[in-house]
Amino acid sequence: MLNDQQPLATNRQLPATNMSLMAAQLYDSLLKIYRNYTVRVFLQAIITIWAVMTLTFVLVRLMPGNPVDVLVEQILTNEGISYQEAYERVAASFNIDSDATPLDQYFQWLGDLLRLDLGISITSPGTKVIDEIARFLPWTVFAVGSGLLISFVLGIFAGMPMAYYRGSKLDHILSFFSSFSTGVPNYIWGLLIIIVPGIAWRWFDIGALRGTYDAGLTPGLNAEFILSALEHAALPVFTYVIAILGTWMLSMKSSTTGVLNEDYVNVAEARGLKERTVISSYVGRNAALPLFTQLTISIGFVLSSGVVVEEIFVYWGIGHHLFQSITVRDYTSLQGVVLLLTAAIVFSNLFADLTYGLLDPRVRVSGEK
Amino acid sequence: MPEPIIELQGVYRDFKKGREVVPVLQDINFAINKLEFLCLVGESGCGKTTTGKIICGLLPPSSGTIHFEGQDIATLRGAEKRRHRRNVQIIHQDPYASLNPTQTVSEMLGYPLLAHRLVNGRRGTDSRVKELLDLVDLTPVEDFIDKYPHQLSGGQRQRVSIARALTTEPSVIVADESVSMVDVSIRIGLLQMMMDLRDRLNVTIVFITHDLALAKYFAWDGRIGVMYLGRLVEIGATQQIIAAPQHPYTKVLLSAIPEPDPQKTRSKQHIQLRSEDIPRLTELPPGCSFHPRCPWYVPGACDVAVPQLAQPAQSLVDTKVACVPLERGDKLVLHDS
Amino acid sequence: MSDLSPETVLRVDDLSIVYRTDRGDVRATNNVSFDLKRGEAMALIGESGSGKTTISLALIRKLPKNAVVTNGHILYQHKNKVQDVLGLSRRQLRGFRWNDCAMVFQGAQNAFNPVLKIRKQFEDTARAHGWTDKDAIRKRALSLLELVRLDPERVYESFPHELSGGMKQRTLLALGVLLNPQVVILDEPTTALDILTQRAIIDVLNDMQRQLLFSIIFISHDLSLAAEMADTVATVYAGEIVEIGGVDDIFYRSLHPYTYGLLTSVPTLDHAQDVLQSIPGSPPNLIAPPSGCKFHPRCSFASDQCQVEGPLLELGRETHLAACWHKDRLLASRKEVV
Repeated sequence: MLNDQQPLATNRQLPATNMSLMAAQLYDSLLKIYRNYTVRVFLQAIITIWAVMTLTFVLVRLMPGNPVDVLVEQILTNEGISYQEAYERVAASFNIDSDATPLDQYFQWLGDLLRLDLGISITSPGTKVIDEIARFLPWTVFAVGSGLLISFVLGIFAGMPMAYYRGSKLDHILSFFSSFSTGVPNYIWGLLIIIVPGIAWRWFDIGALRGTYDAGLTPGLNAEFILSALEHAALPVFTYVIAILGTWMLSMKSSTTGVLNEDYVNVAEARGLKERTVISSYVGRNAALPLFTQLTISIGFVLSSGVVVEEIFVYWGIGHHLFQSITVRDYTSLQGVVLLLTAAIVFSNLFADLTYGLLDPRVRVSGEK
Repeated sequence: MPEPIIELQGVYRDFKKGREVVPVLQDINFAINKLEFLCLVGESGCGKTTTGKIICGLLPPSSGTIHFEGQDIATLRGAEKRRHRRNVQIIHQDPYASLNPTQTVSEMLGYPLLAHRLVNGRRGTDSRVKELLDLVDLTPVEDFIDKYPHQLSGGQRQRVSIARALTTEPSVIVADESVSMVDVSIRIGLLQMMMDLRDRLNVTIVFITHDLALAKYFAWDGRIGVMYLGRLVEIGATQQIIAAPQHPYTKVLLSAIPEPDPQKTRSKQHIQLRSEDIPRLTELPPGCSFHPRCPWYVPGACDVAVPQLAQPAQSLVDTKVACVPLERGDKLVLHDS
Repeated sequence: MSDLSPETVLRVDDLSIVYRTDRGDVRATNNVSFDLKRGEAMALIGESGSGKTTISLALIRKLPKNAVVTNGHILYQHKNKVQDVLGLSRRQLRGFRWNDCAMVFQGAQNAFNPVLKIRKQFEDTARAHGWTDKDAIRKRALSLLELVRLDPERVYESFPHELSGGMKQRTLLALGVLLNPQVVILDEPTTALDILTQRAIIDVLNDMQRQLLFSIIFISHDLSLAAEMADTVATVYAGEIVEIGGVDDIFYRSLHPYTYGLLTSVPTLDHAQDVLQSIPGSPPNLIAPPSGCKFHPRCSFASDQCQVEGPLLELGRETHLAACWHKDRLLASRKEVV
């Protein structure tokens, strides 16, 4: 009896089994894709950015006392036009279609964002937020990037001898400097630089160094412009370098100290390798590895922490722009810059995740798994 | 008739490592008899430490049952569960890591006594602590009672951790590689002290080690269980296993170990493995896990069926072996390599 | 210095080493002397902290910074030229290391730079000692990797983390003999490896020594390993060599109570029950070692003389030396037992 029933049962289940088999296969292949390290971290980054964008949307629109209402109120009192008119104008700046449902608004806004349409600046009507960002961002990237790279290289070279000669006078002096450099925030460094060599000693003319290059010069690949740009960037860059350098030195010192205790360094010396080889390929390379990750991650943070420094030096970068937007309550610009800084932090983390594998073969393999 | 104090039946244990499932133990069946010396031996990754933890109830099995004095320990609740915990103690490998560096010896032994309400008051605690130190030969007791772990030598620390295991008056002690970090010259003294505890305190000791010579010394009148990649492959009387190992893995193991005797060790015949690669637990070969390395491998048999732990067909001794050809009563034939 | 016989490759002469620490001077090595012959395998056995590792580190001058050599010479003879290792300049020392004397450290797990391929690490080593021809390095490396029974091409192009513990240990052995050194020092070469991997390493080492004819000094607490691999065994206790002799002499006719104590505390795989006994007490504190013979507090033969006067390492029988006032009593007591 059992024998009779079994084939029947199997027959009846066949289509169902096929379906579930296909589902299982689909699930399997999706899982396989997700297991790919690169795909996974990318997905995570995108989800984070999406979450931030959505949060921005919600904050601007749905919270009581939201920027839209505030602006409408402002225009109403200042210009005496009808509420409807004022609202339309604000809605246009914010890319809001006032007739649509909130959900439609959301998708439309999201679509605009994906096309990099961040709306129109409120205080300078007619200027797209994205254009403003494009104008200010390169200067910040230039200043922050140079500051980071210079401090990184200096930090690596200063940190290694600190570890090699631990407990020596050199180590004490450099350690004191690093703690000081790390402890004092970058805007204090900026103010110090303006007040002491700038105003007290008159080493340079602070007033003339406003902006990103001398007025009247046309941007381009000519010596005069490049020199001027470097001159204007010098003080912010110097501030970044001195404020971050200590962190790199201390990180490199502790990292090198760890590596110096590793067996492979001991063995390398026992192998009679040249001191130079041991220091560079065995100690330096391994000690600097974790710092590269730190470097890529810090790009995002330095971008945002440079806001005040740019304002102090009146360096016309994205931070200065953000500061100005806050002062005049240019909410659309503000929203654009905040989104940009968030994206910078998220993507620098992503970049760190992806590039570490190139430097460390151990991660390369586990990444593939 | 030996009376089992602990019985493992069909015990499996998996660990999750990322998305992989690692089968650390598979189908473990054996009993520990009251007051016998039982030794579990095997190389790293064979599952001997996990077995020890499962015996102590520190780790639940993924499936299978463990009976302690006839009771399934999974069904124990409340006071009974606590009683079981007290009754089965474990001594770890590294006395450095397992002793709290901020406690003196008397605190280390006194706290569990008070926590389990095994003594009355301060005076009771003090006298019991002294008794325990005396049991593990840390004498004169006054020299050790106020010491911190870092003030003790490796051997002394291991004695303290044994004394700590004894605070709850257990009936079973699992000693996991308890002497392997101790210097050669004092190792045997520690082992002898533990062996004496059986007669003095009526405690059954399960000894876990990778060192077969040590296992032989400890369990000379007892039994040895040999583990390989999560399975028990051979278990039987120590003297039988040392003199006439049955399972190919045990044979290879015994032949590979050097001896502290120049002439013997140089004339020793080493059985060559077919492969030196140890399979990963996540990618175990089909059939018998040892077959890709086994010098007596029978194609078509060993790589098909998973061997069950049983007494071989025509065997005169009661050693149990998990080997397909032996199960069938075949003679092992060495492969040409 | 000129009394070195042609077969002697290394002579350690009256070597004493002290570690300067906050708690006082640790006398890690005291008046240690021995000769190592060409092709000889010598085992230094003793417990942890006995000073055997200090001796081996001194041979390639890789002692920790707080160590001071207070006395002695380390003479190395190669091609009829004798050098004092302790007197080498920095440059000479760099050349001496690995080219003349290679040291395979304990724990090969971390002996390789994790970010460089095995190939690069072989090349670095060879280049540092004047090899320039990449193909020649490759050929030599591959033949050595084959000698240690590895898949040469695959291992050569691997990163260290792609190899198992046993494979790394074998790769390190191959790297150790890359430059054809006269002396190879092995620090606990099989500790922390599984039994079957240990067997493979021992076999590989025996093969290598037979083919390449170098001398071996190996440090171990494992008497079985010494029994199998050594020609000569030296027992180290409290920074001193207390007994040295041929492997059979040490194992069957030991003259020092400490060596004998070690031997009677090691279980065997014999088919008979072992009668074993631990050595009472624990190894001495080397900041304030006991007076006289440093072993006397743990020794059952100790007399008043032992508490006052330290015995010298002297001839017991032919090439068999021991530092004990009561060699005869140990021998006599053992005859009674047997």
